Amino acid sequence: MAFSQETIEFIKKECQRYETRRSAILPCLYRAQKEDPNNQVTPEAVAEMATLMELPEVQINEVLHFYTMYNKKPVGKLHVQVCTNISCSMNGGREMAEHLCKEFNVNYEEVSSDGRYTISRVECLGSCDTAPMMQVNDKYHENLTKEEAVKLLKDM
Amino acid sequence: MPKCKINGQEVEVEAGTTIIEAFKKLDSEIAHYCYHPGLSVAGVCRLCMVEIEGNPRLQIACNTVVQDGMVINNNSEKVKETVKWGLDFHLINHPLDCPICDQAGECELQIQYMKFGQYDPEMAEPKVKKNKVVDLGSKIVLDSERCILCSRCVRFTEEVSKTNELGIFNRGDRSEIGTFDGKPLENDYAVNTVDICPVGALTSKDFRFRQRVWYLKNKETVCPGCSTGCNVKSYYNEEGLFRVKPRQNDEVNGYWMCDKGRDTYKFVNKENRLLEPKVGQSGQWDSQEVDGVMSVMSTKIDDAVKSAGSDKVALVLTGQYTSEEYASMLSYFVGHLKSKNVYHWVNNPESFDEFDGLLLRGDRNPNTKGLLNGLDQHGITAPWSDLETKLNAGDIEVLLVAGPEDPSVFPTLTEKVSLFSKAKNLFWMSAAKTEAADSATTKTWQIPLKTYAEKEGTFVNHKGIEQKIQPMVNIVDCAQTLSEVASALSGQKVDHLGSLVKDRKTNHFINHHGGGL
Ligand code: SF4
Ligand code: SF4
Ligand code: FES
Ligand code: FES
Repeated sequence: MAFSQETIEFIKKECQRYETRRSAILPCLYRAQKEDPNNQVTPEAVAEMATLMELPEVQINEVLHFYTMYNKKPVGKLHVQVCTNISCSMNGGREMAEHLCKEFNVNYEEVSSDGRYTISRVECLGSCDTAPMMQVNDKYHENLTKEEAVKLLKDM
Repeated sequence: MPKCKINGQEVEVEAGTTIIEAFKKLDSEIAHYCYHPGLSVAGVCRLCMVEIEGNPRLQIACNTVVQDGMVINNNSEKVKETVKWGLDFHLINHPLDCPICDQAGECELQIQYMKFGQYDPEMAEPKVKKNKVVDLGSKIVLDSERCILCSRCVRFTEEVSKTNELGIFNRGDRSEIGTFDGKPLENDYAVNTVDICPVGALTSKDFRFRQRVWYLKNKETVCPGCSTGCNVKSYYNEEGLFRVKPRQNDEVNGYWMCDKGRDTYKFVNKENRLLEPKVGQSGQWDSQEVDGVMSVMSTKIDDAVKSAGSDKVALVLTGQYTSEEYASMLSYFVGHLKSKNVYHWVNNPESFDEFDGLLLRGDRNPNTKGLLNGLDQHGITAPWSDLETKLNAGDIEVLLVAGPEDPSVFPTLTEKVSLFSKAKNLFWMSAAKTEAADSATTKTWQIPLKTYAEKEGTFVNHKGIEQKIQPMVNIVDCAQTLSEVASALSGQKVDHLGSLVKDRKTNHFINHHGGGL
């Protein structure tokens, strides 16, 4: 899949913005991921970015693989990231994650058969005071119970 | 120029020198993995710790610039403790599979562990498992578990070869060296990454599992692969040569060599060599003794000169031999035979003047310059086309050819042999066994020559820098140098040569000093 004209322009503009083009890799990767129908960054997208940004593919790939926020595999419409770090785990975060997997019949990091859900376990999202919590796409949902989480997701 | 004290020793350095460079200047030991003088500074291995007086925290020597009056040491207990634990961190996930590791014996982890470690590791967690056999292309294999992430190889492909194949992917203890989307690490300088990898993570497919390094000896020599003349070390044992590695010479090759040059050990070894003199033509050959062939050659030349003049004899030289050999061959031809029928065989005229911008040159001979100097000195200017005309006219009675040492750089070998076959008698001198030479269609004597690993002498590189080679092994006992051939032809020592060959030591461990009889 080739980038849209807007994305191409975005990438070109970002490249002007910093002292080195390498610094523009982060925002450009985000943009590429947003545009992808499966919410991921494919090797083809990296190759296209490399040409547009005049950078070696490998340097973009290093950044892509360093951050877990970039998806290297397809994810569902709703990317559910359940925190399983200390505070959340103490308040049932792990069990909540397990429960969601069962409920939507999907393994961690995979896409449910209807294409809607991908459940991931992640480290602290900085919302420990409202544990347990999950992030669905860009939004935080806090002070949850398993049941509430399921309902929230079904209603989205 | 700032002055500092390193372990009590005063040293003055250029402004901007880093502490590790100052250590090197003093030849003082300092532990390090990621620093390499030919690459940018990464400062990631944290092993080069030093204590600077007045500074409560230890600093890394590779990324700290010497200031005037600094008092530095790396032998205090504090430094030793820090390096020791730094090393322990490197070893947390290291598989410690030295017994099956090719780097064993020249591994920086082993070396530093023997100096700073020798503790019982306190890490109880299971080790992170990674891929142990990552095929990086035709030349290199990666063992991710052994990698200490010094990033030297990544910096090499970014800064030196500028091919950007390698990167570090993932994070923390999952970090791994890799290429984008499984692309191979395929460039003409790739094997340098194996040399600079301080551990056994990157190994050369050509060398891995072939020899334990402590069973190999090495000698300094010059790569005969092209007219750049990279300074190298060749590693060998009694069976022959096994590998070639670069050594530093800022004027010639910096710290590197090309991958083609790495293959220059292969044509030296027995399986590729002409093992004895032989006589025949068109695929029918009989073995001969060296002294026999020498006296036939000498008689043939004398007869041709007596009956029809020295114009009937010609000599073809390639840029593969030492200056000393050219000198003796030319003085025999010009001085003794009074002939200037000497021709320079340019093996690959189309690509001869190419240069890849880094090291490798299209002139794939080590000593073209030496040959040209020799021809100049004797005022020999005859163009190649003269020889072709004479051969085509059937005007050459005896033709001597000092052919390829490395036949792989002679793309038109067969064609040339059929041209040379127009001479009545062909004396083909070469280290190599080739089908091309065996296909000669005139009466031909093949005489085995020594390779650069079996003789001493001088190569003059493209810049005119004279560099010495030295003998390390004796692979083919009866092989000659051109100087030996020239002295045999001048009527000297023909008998002596015969007996010498029979008596010569066959113990291949002994480094006889070839060239000098
Ligand atoms: S493969 Fe070797 S050179 Fe490359 S980062 Fe790992 S240890 Fe360093
Ligand atoms: S550049 Fe030439 S001299 Fe240097 S290693 Fe390669 S072939 Fe040998
Ligand atoms: S532990 Fe879950 S947000 Fe911090
Ligand atoms: S050599 Fe200084 S940090 Fe690695």
